[in-house]
Amino acid sequence: MLATRASTAKRLARSFATAIDTKASGVKVAAVDNGQPTTAVTVLIKAGSRYQPSPGVAHVLKNFTFKSTAKRSTLGTVRESELYGGVLSASLSREYLALTTEFLRGDEAYFTSLLASILATTKFLPHEFSEYVLPVVRDESMHASHVPSTLAIEAAHGLAFRTGLGAPLLAGAHSHVSLDSVKEFATSAFSPSNIAVVGTGIDSARLADLVDKALAETPLPSGSSSLSTPSSKYFGGSARIDSHSSDQTVFIGFGTTAPSAALSVLATHLAPPSALKWPSVPRSSTKLTPVYIPYSDAALAGVLIQSPDVKSVTEAAKSIVEKLKKPLTAEQLRSAVSRTKLDAAVTAESREGTALALGKKVFSSADASVESTLAALDKVDAATISKTVSELTRETPTYIAIGDVSALPYVDEIGL
Amino acid sequence: MNALGPSLAPYVRSSRTLKKWVAPLAQWYANLMGYRKMGLKYDDLRTFLLPSSVCITAAAHEVDFRARGITRSSKEYYDRVYRMKLSAHQSVLHKPLPKEQWMSANEVFRYLKPHIVGVLEEETERAAWDTMTVQRK
Repeated sequence: MLATRASTAKRLARSFATAIDTKASGVKVAAVDNGQPTTAVTVLIKAGSRYQPSPGVAHVLKNFTFKSTAKRSTLGTVRESELYGGVLSASLSREYLALTTEFLRGDEAYFTSLLASILATTKFLPHEFSEYVLPVVRDESMHASHVPSTLAIEAAHGLAFRTGLGAPLLAGAHSHVSLDSVKEFATSAFSPSNIAVVGTGIDSARLADLVDKALAETPLPSGSSSLSTPSSKYFGGSARIDSHSSDQTVFIGFGTTAPSAALSVLATHLAPPSALKWPSVPRSSTKLTPVYIPYSDAALAGVLIQSPDVKSVTEAAKSIVEKLKKPLTAEQLRSAVSRTKLDAAVTAESREGTALALGKKVFSSADASVESTLAALDKVDAATISKTVSELTRETPTYIAIGDVSALPYVDEIGL
Repeated sequence: MNALGPSLAPYVRSSRTLKKWVAPLAQWYANLMGYRKMGLKYDDLRTFLLPSSVCITAAAHEVDFRARGITRSSKEYYDRVYRMKLSAHQSVLHKPLPKEQWMSANEVFRYLKPHIVGVLEEETERAAWDTMTVQRK
């Protein structure tokens, strides 16, 4: 068994030994090829919601991607990509805006030139803004505001980090975003130093070549990006949001300015995900979800508790705080570490996880390979965890309560 | 036959003698039509037919694709609605506007034309994409 484990590690190391190519255009490119039949090219841009100059601009820009460019109209982009059988998508996180194209091997030239034309020559037409983009933005914001777990995490970020990472991810119902602000944000975000092109299922040198050719035809706005973000500081606080949805939701969390493996192990320990799909009959209606969200210079960790009635939420919250204050037994530590390692490996083997890991490697030149993550998790022991807990409890916790506000507990009532 | 109709105007504009003779005639006719006395531009007269099967509370631009061009510039839409309101009031009074408020000859009359041309191009492109045949090389 030890022998097979060693060979797995070697195979992983080979596939992640990628070079980062920097071509004349200034855009960094990295790719991994594991022989899969489809290719995915992702452009990661440091234009997440933490860099936006005013609320909602990043969300609108994410919806404005893949619209009319100098060469193709919106309809032309969609129809031509459909003819190739490709899938276009854009996603926004607090740090990155990711434009992804997934397609069969052999169609790389078209899709890289499409991505380059989107970055360099999007027209930002006013009628597309009002007819195509704004309705989708409003819809996404409205849907997100009706999901208690999303609402809890958003509120937690706002309380924990205030500016930068605490800026709202989506454009709220009342934030007015003008077309000019989106254009300005796009021009400053799409500069070569801000962009990383990441590929899976394609050779690194070939991708760099294609990107170079595409950007030679449609050059990016030159000059360094003028986007800046304040370095993160953790504040914490508590918020109570009245809501009539069926789930009473409580989020108990802590933030730090340094993501660490111990923090992710702690989150898994506090709310251990079940190894069986249906662990008991009847199933408990209280749902506990561990939350660990690392960023480049901060992390938010905690537990999300959801249940239809307030009493079970209060009991679950109190038991979690008690668990937090008790030191871990060896068995608890081992199961938490194993489960965290599994979750990390599963994330890393997905296409999005690989793209994100490569992107982080490109931007920060840090080694973000799977083996280093797993090795860091292996080093976590009970002493590290209790040290982390004492550091966390010294700060103000982030506590969000959503639901029947008059009945849900307060921070001091659950023992924090 | 597109929504803008057939036109000899580009041919007339390209020839200098024709332009010299035809342009004053055109201006006299436009003034005779009387819409300038009501403070309207030529493209304000362009109304769009609603299909009879559609509920009458729908706005024209929501139903007729050619009318989509109207809302493509919010400033022009606002001005258009204002001029129509003004001329409707004059029609109730059965009087034209005072002379200083008449539309003058150097205003932009065909302000809807670029928007309608844009919508027509989009529709042509959509029809082309819908009816194309694909051949693998």
